[in-house]
Amino acid sequence: MDLTPRPIAAPESRAQRQRRRWIPVAIVALALAAGGIVVTQFLTSAIDYYCNVDEVGLREGCVGQRRIRVQGNVLENSLQQVDGVTLFALSFNDKTLQVRYQGDPGGVFQECIPVVAHGRIINGIFDSDRIEVKHTNQYVEKNKSRFDEATNETAACSQSPE
Amino acid sequence: MTTFQTAFEAKSKTTGTAASKKLGAATIVAVIFLVLSGLIFSAEDVVQGSTVRIMYVHVPSIWVAYLAFALTAIFSGVYLSNRSRSLIWDRLAGASAEIGVLFVAVSLVTGSLWGRLTWGTFWVWDARLTSTAFLFITYIGYLAVRRLGGTFRQRARRSSVMALLSVLEIPLVHFSVNLWRTLHQKASVADPNAKVSLDGLMLFTLFWGLISFTMLFAWLLVHRQRLMALEDAVQDRGLDRAIQQRRTEAGL
Repeated sequence: MDLTPRPIAAPESRAQRQRRRWIPVAIVALALAAGGIVVTQFLTSAIDYYCNVDEVGLREGCVGQRRIRVQGNVLENSLQQVDGVTLFALSFNDKTLQVRYQGDPGGVFQECIPVVAHGRIINGIFDSDRIEVKHTNQYVEKNKSRFDEATNETAACSQSPE
Repeated sequence: MTTFQTAFEAKSKTTGTAASKKLGAATIVAVIFLVLSGLIFSAEDVVQGSTVRIMYVHVPSIWVAYLAFALTAIFSGVYLSNRSRSLIWDRLAGASAEIGVLFVAVSLVTGSLWGRLTWGTFWVWDARLTSTAFLFITYIGYLAVRRLGGTFRQRARRSSVMALLSVLEIPLVHFSVNLWRTLHQKASVADPNAKVSLDGLMLFTLFWGLISFTMLFAWLLVHRQRLMALEDAVQDRGLDRAIQQRRTEAGL
């Protein structure tokens, strides 16, 4: 039997103890960062809330008969109400999609405003059962002179790709 | 007289100081001016109408929540790295997180009301709203961890680690509108590349809201931290009394 005294481990220095304390925190932080990279780099198309009009039928997740959300501008002079049905055209990047919605979308829905329509394409028309108005980050005071200016601006119905 | 009252009166009649009273008075004045500016002086938005006024509470609320959670992480870091391990840093972290949770809740409720009037729905599962809800739940979890029991130092150590990890969610929440397509609009002011697109008094009122809510946060933080110190003192006294009782029962 070996009865020689065991070597006594040198006591840890304060710096070593502190380093050891931070190792689990660093590992969890790294795991979180890796998770963040996976989410931002590889799941973008799944996390995106909508497809743009010009991506319908082309982009992964925006094809086929499946239920999708489509974003675009309500085209000027396209809005009609027929027998309780709202008909309008959604436009984005020079592509247009006809939309049919049962009822009145309500809220601030109007022409020349970006909206997200939920539904599916049936016979080339987007049959929507839910409309959400997508407000921009432009805030314009409502007064006479500015109102005219804003009306002229929205008349252009322009929307930059996002 | 309860133990809490004894501890409270032993230390002070109030959690305030002359400076915190001045801060409180200034905060009241600032909030009154915010109400006047938000509801009367500033104009309606051309599309949203009066709904835009919700922004003057919604944006400052989430700003204060970000600030509170960032401070929670900073105080926690100071606690862990400081040799003295003073519990004041832990209490400041806890107080800051509590206020942050309150303001995220305000932001979620006001955002939901704004969403109903503008989008047409109270809630959607887009990246901004979902990540904000996740942030809210994370910090409720943080507050729950603080109440798990154990000694003050155990509480401080585990909650500090959680605070340092939880704060990493804030950039994800803030930049979610740029990383993904969301129904929520992009940043109007906080984006360095975006041109400021708020007319006249709207921008001023929004900034005034940020200032007033920050003052309110500072006032709440001072008082809540002091109240936490008193709660800890009460807990200590309760423990001392229980130990004394057991010693008496054992005839020691």
